[in-house]
Amino acid sequence: MKILVAIVLCLMMLPMLPAMAEDAEMIIVYASVPADWSWPCIWAWSSDGTNAFASWPGDMMEPDAANEGWYYIYLPAGMESVIINANDGGVQTDEIKIDKKSAWVTVADDKTAAVFFEAQTAGEAPAYTERFTVHAQVDASWKNPCIWAWADPAGTNAFAAWPGRVMKPNENGWYLAKVPVWCNSIIINGNAGSVQTADIKDLDPANLWVSVHADATFEVTYEDPTAPKADDITVYAKVPEEWASPSLWAWSHPDGTNAFVSWPGEALIAGDDGWYAITVPGWINSVIINANEGSVQTTDLRVDAGKDLYVTVISAQEATVAYEKPAE
Amino acid sequence: MRKFVCALMAFSLLLLAGCSGNQTNQAGQSGPVTITVWHDKEDAIIAVLEEALKALEPNIHVVFEKKTGMTESLKLVGNDRNTAPDMYLFAHDKIGVYAEMGILTPITELLGDDALAGYVPLTVKGVTYKEHVYQVPLYFETLLFMYNKKYMAHSDIPSTTEELYAYMQRKTKYGHYGFVEQHSTPYYAAGWIHGFGGSLITNTGVPCLDSSQVKATLAYHKKFVDYMPGETEYATVNTLFIEGMAHTTIAGPWFIPTVREAGIDVGIAPMPVVDETGLPLAPYSGIQGLHVLKVKIQQNKDSIIKVLEVLMKPEVSVALAKVSGCAPAVESCYTLEEVISDPLIMAMKQTAEIAIPMPNIPEMDVMWTVTGNLLTNVNMSGQDVDTAASNAQKKALELIEAMK
Repeated sequence: MKILVAIVLCLMMLPMLPAMAEDAEMIIVYASVPADWSWPCIWAWSSDGTNAFASWPGDMMEPDAANEGWYYIYLPAGMESVIINANDGGVQTDEIKIDKKSAWVTVADDKTAAVFFEAQTAGEAPAYTERFTVHAQVDASWKNPCIWAWADPAGTNAFAAWPGRVMKPNENGWYLAKVPVWCNSIIINGNAGSVQTADIKDLDPANLWVSVHADATFEVTYEDPTAPKADDITVYAKVPEEWASPSLWAWSHPDGTNAFVSWPGEALIAGDDGWYAITVPGWINSVIINANEGSVQTTDLRVDAGKDLYVTVISAQEATVAYEKPAE
Repeated sequence: MRKFVCALMAFSLLLLAGCSGNQTNQAGQSGPVTITVWHDKEDAIIAVLEEALKALEPNIHVVFEKKTGMTESLKLVGNDRNTAPDMYLFAHDKIGVYAEMGILTPITELLGDDALAGYVPLTVKGVTYKEHVYQVPLYFETLLFMYNKKYMAHSDIPSTTEELYAYMQRKTKYGHYGFVEQHSTPYYAAGWIHGFGGSLITNTGVPCLDSSQVKATLAYHKKFVDYMPGETEYATVNTLFIEGMAHTTIAGPWFIPTVREAGIDVGIAPMPVVDETGLPLAPYSGIQGLHVLKVKIQQNKDSIIKVLEVLMKPEVSVALAKVSGCAPAVESCYTLEEVISDPLIMAMKQTAEIAIPMPNIPEMDVMWTVTGNLLTNVNMSGQDVDTAASNAQKKALELIEAMK
């Protein structure tokens, strides 16, 4: 009988294995911060120089609804040190050693931090889930915008109660909040939930931007409307005399996105100063100068994206690239 | 005594010659032979070939030269002893053109009639032109249906084209696309045409652009085009998928490394079946391999044979499959665990069972441009299908006649 019970227990635990394996690759860091620390973030790294996040101040921590005053975030298991910061990086602790372990950090008013490796919060930590960022721009009459998110049609809500998660204001006039990837529906609301959009449904788990007007109508896009556009650049080239009608072939390495449809690319235009020139998209980072209908060409030349180029072709095997016009 | 010294010197010279690592080439020159191979492939593929060919050093040194616009260059210099390469590495579809130009040597003349006895039948069929075999296949590729697992649940994978269309209707919004493909590029459109039981050209070189199957394809496919961006050339489609702006696409295995590098969790699914015909979208397959230039045979025949023999080994095919994500051309590779366990390779092998080798007849050369224009006229300029197809058929016939 004991054996039977053991087998049944093992079978019952099987579905739990993947989740446990995933948890083993993550650690959780909790932080409680002074009252005047808004929107706490965490910066984390390991001793080999690996950073958990692309840029300072790191990633925003999530408030734990079950433990008021505590914020949490999951980190890759290899992280050894963290800095807790807030107010868009305006205040921060010193380095806090967590030694690749889950940790609870309390930050005092004087920015000193105490770290604990035993739970300082009540109950189970929220389960790990990937999140995407929802950005919202709302009419000035909508104060303290919040986001409500859920999975449709299951009806599972991301946040405990309406009006949902308060969105963080940014300097560029947009607000943002993170939403679990299992959510596919949101509502943006303001004024403590008294004004709101209609349901915005069937969304992809990808960063999105919602512009909300005073009458609650809205536009949604997955393309960052605040992102700077890559300006075109000019490629200048000098070629040997026997290179007739030179053309430019240009692409983005390593994805192979070509600037032109077919070889040999676009003809360079002869200038009065002996330089040929052509304008191309600023994202290209590889070029070939060719001539004689593409029968003679340079090797692949890797270049910096977004900068005007001066390519001096000596021969098919030899060419130099400069980012300022070479002296004659 | 003098005779003895002379004999000794002659013997010594013979010994030296015997010890030398050099070989005498066909032109009678002693020394290492350099074999030049033109190609358009990624560095990783060439690295595999170079590693295998180290076994021939120092007697035979193989130089791989990457050429952009290679197919046009071969037309210009393929008969020029001083400029032409010994071999080129490329897809099989230019075989007919070059064979008719007389610049290729059948590989059976170098390796024997049963040279490709152990090869996947699809590859042998693809590289045979007028009963001559012109390529040593290394690997083959077909287009695959790819999906971003972050967006498309397994239960949403479309088994039919109507399911795909419904998904596009639901998910194409806010700058994201349910499905993108190079809808006005013949290589990609061919899969849809085959799914309607049609083809671009017959085996005997007669264009089929005004056939009922091609016209039915164009008319049906237009509604899919309406849910794709206006520009759908290679760059746009690839960028949309790797930047997470498109849920699904149809692309070649060469796209997979870039997709994975971009952090996309990509899945491969069977091609959807056209509801109306019950046939799956059946893409073209490309057989990538080595072609030998006739003009270099007299000079380097023995060395060329040795190079081919090295590169025909199954272990080379397997190594190429690993770096390219393509399927080995040698049948025996499919008994190896490292091949069977690779889902991408096996998806390719599975798709190859429905895929159709790109036609290698010379007439196909004009079909790419004419079909491309037809697709653009229907998909992007809104021309009437019947009129556009009729005009394209006339144009194809004119150009083929002009070729003759």
